[in-house]
Amino acid sequence: MNTPIPEARSAALTRSALTKARKERGERWRTFVIRLAFFGSLIGLWTTLGWLELWDEMAFPFLPQVGSTLWTGIIDQSLLASAAISLQRLAIGYGLALAIGIPLGLLLGRVRWLNDTVGMLALGLQALPSICWLPLAVLWFGLSETAMVFVVVMGALMALTLATRDGVKNMPPLYMRAAQVLGASGWRLYVHVMLPATLPAILTGAKLGWSFAWRSLMAAELLLVGVGLGSLLERGRELHDMSLVVAVMLVIIGVGLLTERWLFSRLEQRFVHRRWGTSA
Amino acid sequence: MPKIELNDVAQVFWSQSGAVQALTEISLTIEEGELVCIVGPSGCGKSTLLNLIAGLAKPDSGRVLVDGKPVTGPGPDRVVLFQESGLFPWLNSLQNVMFGLKMAGVPEAERSARAEKLLHMVHLSRFTKAWTHELSGGMKQRVALARALATDPGILLMDEPFAALDAQTRDMLHDELENLWARTRKTIVFVTHNVREAVRLGTRVVVMTARPGRVKNIYNIALPRPRHIEDVELVKVAAVIRDDLRAEFLQATHEEGID
Repeated sequence: MNTPIPEARSAALTRSALTKARKERGERWRTFVIRLAFFGSLIGLWTTLGWLELWDEMAFPFLPQVGSTLWTGIIDQSLLASAAISLQRLAIGYGLALAIGIPLGLLLGRVRWLNDTVGMLALGLQALPSICWLPLAVLWFGLSETAMVFVVVMGALMALTLATRDGVKNMPPLYMRAAQVLGASGWRLYVHVMLPATLPAILTGAKLGWSFAWRSLMAAELLLVGVGLGSLLERGRELHDMSLVVAVMLVIIGVGLLTERWLFSRLEQRFVHRRWGTSA
Repeated sequence: MPKIELNDVAQVFWSQSGAVQALTEISLTIEEGELVCIVGPSGCGKSTLLNLIAGLAKPDSGRVLVDGKPVTGPGPDRVVLFQESGLFPWLNSLQNVMFGLKMAGVPEAERSARAEKLLHMVHLSRFTKAWTHELSGGMKQRVALARALATDPGILLMDEPFAALDAQTRDMLHDELENLWARTRKTIVFVTHNVREAVRLGTRVVVMTARPGRVKNIYNIALPRPRHIEDVELVKVAAVIRDDLRAEFLQATHEEGID
């Protein structure tokens, strides 16, 4: 009926944008409060049940003990040092798995005979928990860092390779044809088309591979005497110090959560959702 | 020397039900600066024909020559515009347009300058940073056109590029394409199933038969430019060609009915 004059319309637009921003902020607050309430009551429950002494403290430690173990572990840096060592092993092993798995997956997706052979092998090894490699790894590399890193690589590699391969196979063929008519050929098709086109699948595989790597490392550290979070946990078992065990478990969970929320979900937001227009 | 020459070209596809003759006895000569439209019933091998010129497929027999030389593979002198834009979702508009230049080894500064100019030409200066999913269908095809023009190819191969667009957008893009062609005199091969679109754009219209596709008739379109898709004369010419095509359409539907 009556067309709003431009200023009025732009004001209305600004208003609606502001409303939307406010709504989103409200939404974030709500999530935060709900989460706080949930974890708060979980901690509250743990504390209360501890006071009531419903079970033997030796079986499952009460919150204050775990808290103080965590605190001392941070103060005297024993927990932090162990976490740092574990994370370093993870970084090396996972980095190697990325460096091998992504190019290998791209090749498997393109080269039929390679997929028929190596692809099948990767699929088989995927079913094998990588900690099963530990006896052989110790035989080959001794009780060393290398043995542990080897187990981590085997943990992450298959998931990464297979996810990358499937990404290539599901890539719309139109991208390759468009790139070819624009003058791309050979290795440049891999680097400038297949790799970026497969990025969403690669990231999914990277997440999966990361969690496999983290689990394999913890298992290896539990079994091999030495330093690291897993070894610290094992020491807690030997000393019957369950608060140390639970404290280490909390750190392991913490590392996992931080990686997922701060690393992977940010990468996905930036390189996948925003570009492909998919929602988080 | 003709720009594009097809000599007795045939192409066979292998499908689950056996060999399918897609194209047979195709001979066609296209001169430099022509805008040739190819129409035919669906499945007649129009797109296959375009792929052969593009070098994305090799003919089973016969020869495909561009500038007198046999086509051995795809190259940036013959860029294809697809029905779906084929834009890369991991690149923004500007980066998409720069892709061919990057492959050609053009330095970064020159790449972006040229790409910006092309995006300006297709009226998308304000969308250089936009991701593909943020563009409408018409905008995507404009970016794809700019991307195709970036390496300044002598030949543009267009595979029903406007088929998925609404009528207004399509009219606008027809005008833009006509202008571009008038200005640059590029050789354009435009595949469509829309007869009026073919008459609207083409210097010649090639009518193909139902599968196996062969050249049925070639019409010279001498209508004055600029043309409009609803011009009376244009509609009359289109009606003649459509009647010519109708028999082929019927045969194609008949075959599909039996299948």
